[in-house]
Amino acid sequence: MVRPVRVLLFATARTAVGRAEIAWTVPASGRSAADLAADLAAAYPRLAPTLKASRLVRNGRAIGRPSEVVRPGDEFAIHPPYGGG
Amino acid sequence: MTTSVRLTRSSLSFAAAAVELEGPELGGVVLFAGRVRGERSGRGRVVALDYEVHETPALRTLRDLDRAARRKFGVERTVLWHRVGRVPAGEVSVIVGAAAGHRAAAFAAARFLIDELKRTVPIWKTERARSARRRPRRRRPRGGRSSG
Repeated sequence: MVRPVRVLLFATARTAVGRAEIAWTVPASGRSAADLAADLAAAYPRLAPTLKASRLVRNGRAIGRPSEVVRPGDEFAIHPPYGGG
Repeated sequence: MTTSVRLTRSSLSFAAAAVELEGPELGGVVLFAGRVRGERSGRGRVVALDYEVHETPALRTLRDLDRAARRKFGVERTVLWHRVGRVPAGEVSVIVGAAAGHRAAAFAAARFLIDELKRTVPIWKTERARSARRRPRRRRPRGGRSSG
């Protein structure tokens, strides 16, 4: 059985979806970060504006290239602009 | 060389942070604390901020900031502490500090640390506000206005 991607949502991304985490199924070969973000925006239209302004993070590391592949079992986080301090 | 990185739900102590920066050779010590302001917002007066964090990358980024400060400014010790969860207005939400042989490096490093922390560490805050209560309208007493 293919394990889903664990999508983590913070701040405005969490508010847009109404949850802090969702399980998202991707093909066994994976899905590019750009395509995965587009899939999520299509499924959650209120997330789309936040996604445009967010950093995408895979397994705790910022995704440098939109073509980077997200694989089943990965953690994929959406980071809206930061606001610590 | 020592660093102190902390994400915590407990109160932050300025005095405890100063202890982390002690050392006989450290002539310049700069500590910065950021407090939650109880200011007015569009939804009333701010009574607290809720901080959320993506912990693993946040801790890694804080350690990266420490390394960058030591490399750029030559500081010997740093403190990077941030509260998470609910922080009431008036309480300290963040402390950064730097200690070096001389003040110029310590000032520059502390400024760098707080600016970069706000820009690069995955921490978010949400305002908790309390709207001002409207005064209940006084009912005119029976019998009309008093002439006194």
